[in-house]
Amino acid sequence: MDPLLLGALVGASTILILFSGISVGIGLLVVSGLFILIFDGAPSLALMPEIFFGKLDSFALLSIPMFIIMGASISSTRAGADLYEALERWLTRVPGGLVISNLGACAMFAAMSGSSPATCAAIGKMGIPEMLKRGYPEGIAAGSIAAGGTLGILIPPSVTMIVYGIATETSIGRLFLAGVIPGLLLVTLFMAWSIYATWRSGNQALMLKTVYSWREKFEILPRVLPFILIIVGVLYSMYGGVATPSETAAVGALLCLVIAMVIYRLTNPKDLWVVFRDSTKESVMILFIIAAAGVFSYMLSSLFITQSIAEWIGTLDINRWYLMLIINIFLLIAGFFLPPVAVILMASPILLPIIVNAGFDPIWFAVVLTINMEIGLISPPVGLNLYVINGIAPQIPLKTVLLGSLPFVACMVLAILLLCLMPSLATWLPNTLMGSSL
Amino acid sequence: MSSNAYSHAAGVKTQKPVFFKVVAFLSTLSGWCSAGMTLVAIGITCQMIFVRFVLNGSTVWQTEAVVFLIVAATLIGLPFVQQLRGHVNVNLIPLMLPASGRYFLAIFTYSISIITIAVMLWFSYEFWHLAFTRGWTSDTVWAPSLWIVYSSLPIGFGLLILQLTADLAAIILKIEAPFGLEAD
Repeated sequence: MDPLLLGALVGASTILILFSGISVGIGLLVVSGLFILIFDGAPSLALMPEIFFGKLDSFALLSIPMFIIMGASISSTRAGADLYEALERWLTRVPGGLVISNLGACAMFAAMSGSSPATCAAIGKMGIPEMLKRGYPEGIAAGSIAAGGTLGILIPPSVTMIVYGIATETSIGRLFLAGVIPGLLLVTLFMAWSIYATWRSGNQALMLKTVYSWREKFEILPRVLPFILIIVGVLYSMYGGVATPSETAAVGALLCLVIAMVIYRLTNPKDLWVVFRDSTKESVMILFIIAAAGVFSYMLSSLFITQSIAEWIGTLDINRWYLMLIINIFLLIAGFFLPPVAVILMASPILLPIIVNAGFDPIWFAVVLTINMEIGLISPPVGLNLYVINGIAPQIPLKTVLLGSLPFVACMVLAILLLCLMPSLATWLPNTLMGSSL
Repeated sequence: MSSNAYSHAAGVKTQKPVFFKVVAFLSTLSGWCSAGMTLVAIGITCQMIFVRFVLNGSTVWQTEAVVFLIVAATLIGLPFVQQLRGHVNVNLIPLMLPASGRYFLAIFTYSISIITIAVMLWFSYEFWHLAFTRGWTSDTVWAPSLWIVYSSLPIGFGLLILQLTADLAAIILKIEAPFGLEAD
């Protein structure tokens, strides 16, 4: 059979199987097994466990459970609330102060936890009721937190970036750095929209109601500094050449656990088990998808599907920006339905050769891809963050959360456009600090 | 939109037969083992960094041990995560179906899951057996026996099949709602 036709058949089968409600990891194994059996024969199935094991047999993967434990231990404490309070006390006189401090807290918590739903839940639990109490429109309150939460997969250390780095054999250190400026750009765009929307709603007087003394401003700092210092320490040791991402993540995980136990008194065995249960659940889920996607990508390659698609795209002779537009639309649609990790693992073996052949930087593309995935997190039908917000603020209708998130989706599309116009927004920092990759 | 299309949904819980309790115990135990191995991996990595950067010594076994621990933690943790419904799925088709359609679709998805994991289990066992009978060791100075490392493959997939079978039985016996979605 023609590899391109076979590719279309694999694509359609994968979509059908994955949408049937089967676990993503098992679904990928089902599709891989089926096509290997039909086109390569039953003896080739014997390779599946070996490939599965081989995909997990990597020291770089250690960073995933370690960063997840870091995030889970921070999320299990009051750190999110403290961060929120600290920013609120310091930014109270800034126009749109509360929504600004919420977005700032989201960005900082995202950096600490690396998880979008965790950021949404941690900051939203405090931030949304407070914003509603002060008269902010429901849409802005919910939309800002939903969008702010998505920063978790862009601002380093990000598990999504690690997965991209592993899938494409790209430097994780570079990817982390590449996410910094676009992350700040997104926060700025989110803040600008929030200030404008708040000003338009006519609630300026309510925003300036609470004034904090300098004492109140300083007394909260010791509670938020330890975690921030750990994140700074982790990033310093990675870029200072002290240790690899996996090693620093392990030390970071240990320190976050110790701080959660010492400062936040997380000593009850049941509470500690929750940290380990949640982190085991998330890291096993991600690592399983990574291993299963490894088998899936082996199947694509052994049936010459990956190579044929790349060759076919090469013969199309279309403008590279038009190609990027098509890829973005594809990623956007995939992100609407599938979790970011699954999209990255399934799409990168096919897309990366095309991207590189078209002259795009894989580091820059990682940022564009991640922002696409962020849009998926706040768009129906999947929109994980929308449901997190719906869970923590059930008084706000899902429709309002969705409509409130739409302007932030526009901010993300604007960020992608800016990144296309100025790729150096993503590549300048890694190239300046780590030297050019080319 | 009445329900999350992208779920880690928990099912309906009622009084369950002994088989379910045994499987639940084994899956919970596997979760403890998985979490324990990850904790040990943190400890070994920190020890490795201490030896290398503080004592200026060389490390031999640590990197490999940590990698094997994480591989084993992933495989052994599979049934635990399945028990918690933590393996992310996309419930798009189930949401569009009536309750009876969901029931049969759930039976179908669990069945193909069990068949696929059974294939993985069979070939994992062969792979492990080969490593055991031929005395394979890893290609490093430490050179641990690979049958110990590879044993996590059949153990993990075997326990996952048990958990999937329990989940399938719970659907057939109507102890749990298909895909954790209540009838409309």
